[in-house]
Amino acid sequence: MKKEIMVATVAELPEGSHKIVQVGSREIGIFNVRGELYAIPNVCFHQNGPLCKGAVSGTVRADEQTSWKLEWVQEGEIVVCPWHSLEFNVTTGECIAYPGRRLPTYSLRVEDGQIFFPADK
Amino acid sequence: MTCAKEMRKDLDDLGIDIGILFPDFFLFHAALQQADYAIALAKAYNRWLVEEWLGEDNGLKGAVMAPHHDPVVAAAEIRKYAKHEHVKAIYLPTAMVDPFYGHRRYDPVYEAAQETNLPVFFHSVTCIHPTFPFNMHGFSTLFSAHVMAHPFSCIANLLSMLETGVPVRFPNLRVAFTEAGIGWVPWLMMRIDKEYNERRRDLPFYKGRPSEHIKKMFFSTQPIEEPANLRDLAALISLFDGENSVIFSSDWPHHDFDHPSKVLQIPVSEEGRRKILGTNALRLLNLEVAKR
Repeated sequence: MKKEIMVATVAELPEGSHKIVQVGSREIGIFNVRGELYAIPNVCFHQNGPLCKGAVSGTVRADEQTSWKLEWVQEGEIVVCPWHSLEFNVTTGECIAYPGRRLPTYSLRVEDGQIFFPADK
Repeated sequence: MTCAKEMRKDLDDLGIDIGILFPDFFLFHAALQQADYAIALAKAYNRWLVEEWLGEDNGLKGAVMAPHHDPVVAAAEIRKYAKHEHVKAIYLPTAMVDPFYGHRRYDPVYEAAQETNLPVFFHSVTCIHPTFPFNMHGFSTLFSAHVMAHPFSCIANLLSMLETGVPVRFPNLRVAFTEAGIGWVPWLMMRIDKEYNERRRDLPFYKGRPSEHIKKMFFSTQPIEEPANLRDLAALISLFDGENSVIFSSDWPHHDFDHPSKVLQIPVSEEGRRKILGTNALRLLNLEVAKR
């Protein structure tokens, strides 16, 4: 993108919702998590599934802090790929199954109720 | 085969310096339904093992029987015998065990193993029993039952342990799977990694491929696969970094024992051969021997 483009309006993305927008030849998922907007590609790095068509909820964690019991955490931050259920944190792009492997994230700009995708991204 | 002296002589003939003793008929130990009786037998075996078989510094080493019928008693037996200078491992009966060894009821056993720094050996046997994978009444031959029983029993118990996070909940626990050959190991690793992508929430203990934990486990050779081209076996070993985790086992004096020469024929590197025939086991069993 040579310059930023308007991809959606704030009204289209109430808290807890997400939608897929077109940016040139790419599809980008935009998520409203507790009032903050986040954007990641609509492509799962596993088998190129349409990641952002998946449901957003939380995930399951079990580690020393939970005394190795399963706990439901990060409600509202995790999108699950509809193809094979790989989970991603939409706020960081991080894959839950493979910490350290992440999707790119994009900073969105909001002005006058309009959401802009950044230039040069 | 009736005594330690005979066993020592047999192992000499096979060219084996150090051997771990396993309890033959008590490979069927889990079939015993009456827990008090099963526990009494295990305790008796352990007493007999140290009294009759481990009295000399002659390379015969013992695996203390942990009567899984009561994991607290099993843990106590482990702690009791861990101090014996020739007890170097823990044996868990793996045929017909129900529930599988990932169940949290066995946590005391793994705690004791970790605390005593003794490796846990899972050892199965062929039988027909309603517990998976021994429900093999559909087969008409021992051929088929023997193909299935040992590796599938190891696979089932290893999977069960992964399910409850045993490798991360007990990070210093060292385990070995015995008498199942090694062909199943790379298959299982690939299979679980595939499933992990889709079902991570079932076992949210891991940070990446669960197969990484299998690479830290040990696998004994017998009954070592004998493909037409032994290079295939060397390639298979390389798939799971087996030069660092495969340990020679003879299964002597059973009918399906392997002579060390069969494992020597596998065209791995000279260093790999030394590891598989010796130093991997020394590391697993915390044994020190003079360099040669």
